Amino acid sequence: MSEELIKVTINGTEYEVEKGRRLIEVCNENGCNIPSFCYYSDLQVQASCRMCLVRIDKMPKLQTSCTINCTDGMVVTTNTEEIAKAQRAMSEFLLANHPLDCPVCDRGGECDLQETVMSAGNVEERFHEPKNSFAEKFLSPMVANDQQRCILCKRCTRVCDEWMGETVIEAGNRGVNTVIGTYGGWLNCSQCGNCVEVCPTGTLLDAVYRHETRPWELERTVSTDVYSSDGMQLSIGSRGGKVHRIVARDRYVNGLNGEFLDVKARFGHEFVNHPDRIKTPLIRYKKGGKAIPATWDDAISFVADKLKDSKNVGVVASPRLTNESIFTLKRLATEALNSDNYAVSDAYNLAPFFDNLSAPLCNHKEIRYAKTILLIGGEPEEEQTYTAKQMRQAVRNGGAKLIIVNDTPINLIKSATQFVHVNKGSYEAFVLALLDKKNDKVSAKKLGVDKAELEKVRVTIAATEGDFIIMFGGDLSAEAQAVLANSAEKFASDKCKVLYHPLPLYNNSVGANDVMQGKKSLGEVLKESKSFIIGGSLQDANILEEKDFVVAFELFETETTDKADVILPAASFAEVDGTYTNNAGNVQRVRKAIDFVNQSKPDWLIADAIAKELGVDFGYQSSASAVFKAIADSVPAYEGLRYPALKNESKPVQAKHTIHSAKDLSNEIKALTERVEALAGETNKNNETPRIGHKLHRLTTLTSRTPQFHLLANGNPKPENLHVSPLKQFDTDGKAVAAS
Amino acid sequence: MEIKAIGCEPLQLKRMHVKDGHTLKVYEKTGGYKSLKKALEMTQDDIINEVKASALRGRGGAGFPTGMKWSFVPRQSPKPKYVVCNADESEPGTFKDRYLLERDPHALIEGMLIAAFALGSECCYIYFRGEYNYLIDIMDKAIEEARKANLVGKNILGSGFNCEVFTQTGAGAYICGEETALLSSLEGYRGHPRMKPPFPAIEGLYACPTVVNNVETLTAVPQIIEMGGENWRNLGTEKSGGTKLWSVSGHVKKPGVYELPMGYSNLEKFILEDCGGMLHDDKKLKACIPGGSSVYIMNAEQIIGKNVLMDYEGLVAAGSSVGSGGFIVMDETVDVMESTKNLIEFYKHESCGWCTPCREGTDWLNKILKRISEGNGRPEDAQLMLDICDNIEGKSFCPLGDAAAWPVQSAIKRFPEDFKNWLFRNTNGN
Ligand SMILES: Cc1cc2nc3c(=O)[nH]c(=O)nc-3n(C[C@H](O)[C@H](O)[C@H](O)COP(=O)(O)O)c2cc1C
Ligand code: SF4
Ligand code: SF4
Ligand code: SF4
Ligand code: FES
Repeated sequence: MSEELIKVTINGTEYEVEKGRRLIEVCNENGCNIPSFCYYSDLQVQASCRMCLVRIDKMPKLQTSCTINCTDGMVVTTNTEEIAKAQRAMSEFLLANHPLDCPVCDRGGECDLQETVMSAGNVEERFHEPKNSFAEKFLSPMVANDQQRCILCKRCTRVCDEWMGETVIEAGNRGVNTVIGTYGGWLNCSQCGNCVEVCPTGTLLDAVYRHETRPWELERTVSTDVYSSDGMQLSIGSRGGKVHRIVARDRYVNGLNGEFLDVKARFGHEFVNHPDRIKTPLIRYKKGGKAIPATWDDAISFVADKLKDSKNVGVVASPRLTNESIFTLKRLATEALNSDNYAVSDAYNLAPFFDNLSAPLCNHKEIRYAKTILLIGGEPEEEQTYTAKQMRQAVRNGGAKLIIVNDTPINLIKSATQFVHVNKGSYEAFVLALLDKKNDKVSAKKLGVDKAELEKVRVTIAATEGDFIIMFGGDLSAEAQAVLANSAEKFASDKCKVLYHPLPLYNNSVGANDVMQGKKSLGEVLKESKSFIIGGSLQDANILEEKDFVVAFELFETETTDKADVILPAASFAEVDGTYTNNAGNVQRVRKAIDFVNQSKPDWLIADAIAKELGVDFGYQSSASAVFKAIADSVPAYEGLRYPALKNESKPVQAKHTIHSAKDLSNEIKALTERVEALAGETNKNNETPRIGHKLHRLTTLTSRTPQFHLLANGNPKPENLHVSPLKQFDTDGKAVAAS
Repeated sequence: MEIKAIGCEPLQLKRMHVKDGHTLKVYEKTGGYKSLKKALEMTQDDIINEVKASALRGRGGAGFPTGMKWSFVPRQSPKPKYVVCNADESEPGTFKDRYLLERDPHALIEGMLIAAFALGSECCYIYFRGEYNYLIDIMDKAIEEARKANLVGKNILGSGFNCEVFTQTGAGAYICGEETALLSSLEGYRGHPRMKPPFPAIEGLYACPTVVNNVETLTAVPQIIEMGGENWRNLGTEKSGGTKLWSVSGHVKKPGVYELPMGYSNLEKFILEDCGGMLHDDKKLKACIPGGSSVYIMNAEQIIGKNVLMDYEGLVAAGSSVGSGGFIVMDETVDVMESTKNLIEFYKHESCGWCTPCREGTDWLNKILKRISEGNGRPEDAQLMLDICDNIEGKSFCPLGDAAAWPVQSAIKRFPEDFKNWLFRNTNGN
C-alpha cells in the first residue's frame, strides 16, 4: 500500500485515504455501509455477488466497490434509489431459490444473508415459481453441506485454495445448478473447517456441532487455542456449563489468526465435557491397588503429609498448562518443597534458543509479508497450521521466497521456491554450512545434496530486501539451536531484517520456557527424584513404576495416572483464567468459559493448596491475575504486564525476550562440527510425502474424545450414505457397521 | 444453402466454391500466403497501422476496433505474447466461422501469423467449440502442411520469425466464447470469465499479453495487408470498414452465409430479395434478429420502408446491432413469446453461474416463461420480467447477463400483442 494520501468523495463528503485502497473498505470505515457477500479482504477478489454496487462519476455502469481501488478525485455515491434498487434486486435474486426457512437453518441468527437482507429491508416477495432444491449431505465427518442455501460467493473454495493450499472443495455443475462440492463426493483434506467458518450462509456446517443449539443461546468467551503453538484466538460457545463449539468468526473474535483455525482447535473440544473426565480426587492407598475417591481436603492433606519430609521432590509441568500453573508448580518446588528438581515435559528444550536469541521473534503478520523464509526441519502444516497458512500466502500473494530444508518432502514444499532434500538427522550440517561457506563441502556430503544448492540458499538470503525469517522445527540439537539463534548479524543488512520463529509443539511451550526459569531437563528430574508432582501426563510413564510417591493433576485417566498414588482432577482450558505464550512471544489470555467440570480445579490452584498445606502461602488469594502479577514481577520478559493490558485480543502483546549480541560460541560450534563430521553421510531420505493430517488427526488424550477424530485417524472412510452421519455408519475403528 | 457475396467481390468467401480450397496448394495458387510474405517485410508498427486504417472491427460480436486492440499489447514486455483465435462460435444463429474453418483454414493460419508477427508473439492457439471437433482435423492437417512448407515453426520463410499454431477444443459451453472465459478454459480451469481490467491485451493467457480475435476478424487480416488498409476500408463505410459475413437462417427461401459490404442498403431488400424472400409467399415478415440471439429483436415496422443500412451504425440507429451477424428471420407463424422462451432456456442453460443476477435472473425468467407457455400467465408477468431484466442489465459480471436481458426486453416491448395473448388469456383459468 502506498503512503500517498488522495482525496475521495463519498456521498458528498470528502475523505483522505491512502492511494489504492479498496473502495468497499473505505466506504465501510466511513459509515457508508456497503452490503457484500463475496468480498473477503484476505482473499482474491471474486466480484460475483454484485451486492456492493455503487455509482462512480465518469464511469458508465454501476461498479462493484470490491474491485475498485481508490484514485484521486474519485466521486462515489452509495445512497441513491438506483443503488438501493440494485441491492434489493441482488437480495431478491439470492433469495429466489433459497429455502427461506431460517428458523430451521443451522446458521440462523448469525447468517450474513439473513442479516443483510433484513437490514436492507423492503424485499418484496415476487418469486412464486418452484424452487430448485438439493438434499443436505455430509462432505466429511467434520463438514456437512446444505447445498440449497449456497449463494456461490466462493469464499469456501478460495480459503481452501489460498489459505490451505488444498483445493479440495470446488463448484460443480453450471449456472443455477452450480453447487459447492468436492471431487469424488468426499473431503479428503486436513479438515480445518475454514470453509465452514467463512461461509456466510448455512451451507457449509460444522458437522460436530450441527443442530446442537442456536447461536444466540450460546455464551461467548474469547480464548486461546489449547493445541498449537501459534496461539490462535477463538471464541468458545457454551451453554449451561457445556462447550458446544469453537469458532473464530469475525463477529465474535478478532485475533492474530483472523477467521483461521485448524481441525484440532475447531473440532477437538469435546474432551471438555466428556463423561470420562476424572470426577473427584482419587487416592491409591496401596501400590497397584484401586484408586478410591476422596474429598479435596483429604487428598491435599494426604499429599502434604507424604511430601513434607521428602527430599528433592520432582515437579513436572506440561507445556499445555497456563503460565500461571507452570509458574506456581515451580514455586511449589522451590518455595514449599525446597527442591530445584523441576522440569517441563516438553518434547524439546527451547532454552538454548532463547539464551542466544540475537534478533526478535516475528509475529504472524510479519510471516505473511516476509520476503524470504528459511524453514529448517519441522512440519508447520501439521503442527503450526497458522504459521503454514501465512507462509503459503507470503509466497502466493506476496511473492516471498520460501526455502525448505527437510529430510521429507512435506506437503508445504508445494509452496517452496527451493526444497533442499537432506538426509535424516543431518539438519546440523545445514546449520553449519549456513554459518560459514567453508563448511559447504563437508555439509553437502553429510546432507546428501549438491554444494550448489547451499550456494543457492545463500544467494537467495543475500538478495533479500525486507524481512528474512528463520524458522526451525524441534529436531535441532541444543548447540545447533544456540548457534542459529545467535547468527542474525550474519544475514542482517540495511535492506534485510532478520527475525526468528521457533516451531515448538505445544500451545505454551514458549511460556513454559519463560516462566519456569532454572528448570532442568525432564530426564534428569525423572531420574533424580523418588517423589513427584506432575501437572499433566508424561509421554512415557514407565519410569514412574519404580517411584515412591506420585501425584498427578489430570483431566483423564492416562498411563501417568495409572501409576500415580494421588490423582487430582484438573480443570481444562475452558474452565480457567490464565495466559499462554505463543511462538511469536505473544502473551495471550485464556478465559474461563464454563464452570468447573465435576470437582476439577485449575492446576495452579491445586499447587497453591498443596503449598498452603505445607505452610507456604503464595499470597494469590485464589486470583489468577495475582498469579500473573507474580510472574510479571519475577520474569523480566513479562515485566510490567497485567491482565488488563492483555484484554484486547486484536492487539497481542509480545513478551520482551532479551536480544543478545553475537556471542563467542566456539565451544558450541566445535561440538557441532564434531557431530557433523561424525555423521555417516550415506543417503537416507524419506521420499514419500506424508498424508495430509497425519499428525493433526492423531488420536491423543484430548482429540480422541471427539468421535469424528477416530474416523479421521482411520483414514476418513467414505460412507455409503452421505445423507446420514458417518458416525452412524462406522465404528470408532473406521469399520463399517450394519445400518440399523 | 447459399454461400455467396452480394454487392462486392467475395473476399472472405473467395475459396468457398474452389475445389480443394482448404489445401495449401490451392490456397497458394489463389494468392494465399502472399500477405504473410509482404508482412514479414513490414515493420510491426506498419502492420498495426494498416489494420487501424482498415477500420476493421471485431467480428465476434462486440465490434471493438481490431487495430486499437492490437496497439494495447505491450510489445516490449519481457513476457511471452499470445495470439488466440476465438473459434467457439456458439451464438445462436451464427455459423459463418464454421465455413471459413472448413473450407479456408489457411486464411486463418495466415491471419494469425501476421498478427503474431505484428505483436511479437511466437505462439498462437485456435480454440474451437466442443461441437467443432471435426474441424480440428482439417485445421491440424493445414497446420502440418504449413509447417512442412516452413510457414509455421522456426525461422518462417527465412525471416527469423518463429511461430507455432496449436488447436484446442472446448467442452461445449457458450460462455467459453467470452474471451476471458475462453482463456480460463484454455488454461485448463473452469470456464468462468475473469475480471476486467486487467484486459487480455495486458494480462491474458497465463497472465501474459494476449490478443483474442474472432475467426472472421483474423481471416480479414491477409486481405487488409494485401490491398492496404485504406482500400479495404473503402469497401465498406468510414467507420465500419470492409465486408462482413451474415449467417442467415429462418423463414427465407435461401438461407446461408452471405458476404456483404459494410453499409449495405438495405435490410429489407436483403431479406425480401437477396435471401430469396419469405419462405412461404403467403406469410409476412414478422421479426428479425440481425446479429445473433444477444441483440435486440426487431419487428417488421422497424425494417419495412426504413432503409436500414447493414453496418454497426445503421443497425444501432434502427434499434438493434450487428453482433455476430447471426441473422434470424421470422414470419407471422412465430409467436415471439415462444421464441423468447426458447432463447431464455438457452441463456439459463449457458449462464456460467458465477454472478448472482445472471445465474438467478435467467433461471427466474425461464421459470416464468415456462409457466406462461403452460397457460398460467398472469397480467403482471410482463412488468415483472422487464424489471428482472433491468436488474440483470448492467449489473452482471460479464456481458452474458446483458445478452440474456436484451432479447427479453425487446421482445416484450416490440411484440406486446404476443405477450398479451398469453398473459390475459389465461387458458387454465387461474
Ligand atoms: C457470452 C459471450 C459469448 C461470446 N461468444 C463468442 C464466440 O462464440 N465467438 C467469438 O468470436 N466471440 C464471442 N464473444 C466475444 C468475445 O468475448 C470477444 O469479444 C471476441 O472474441 C473478440 O474478438 P473480435 O474482437 O475479433 O470480435 C462472446 C462474448 C460473450 C460475452
Ligand atoms: S476443511 Fe479446510 S481443507 Fe477441507 S475443504 Fe474445508 S477449507 Fe478446504
Ligand atoms: S458454501 Fe458458503 S462459502 Fe461456499 S459458496 Fe456457498 S455460501 Fe459461499
Ligand atoms: S453474467 Fe455472470 S453468471 Fe452470467 S455468464 Fe457472465 S459471469 Fe457467468
Ligand atoms: S462484494 Fe463486490 S461483488 Fe460481491
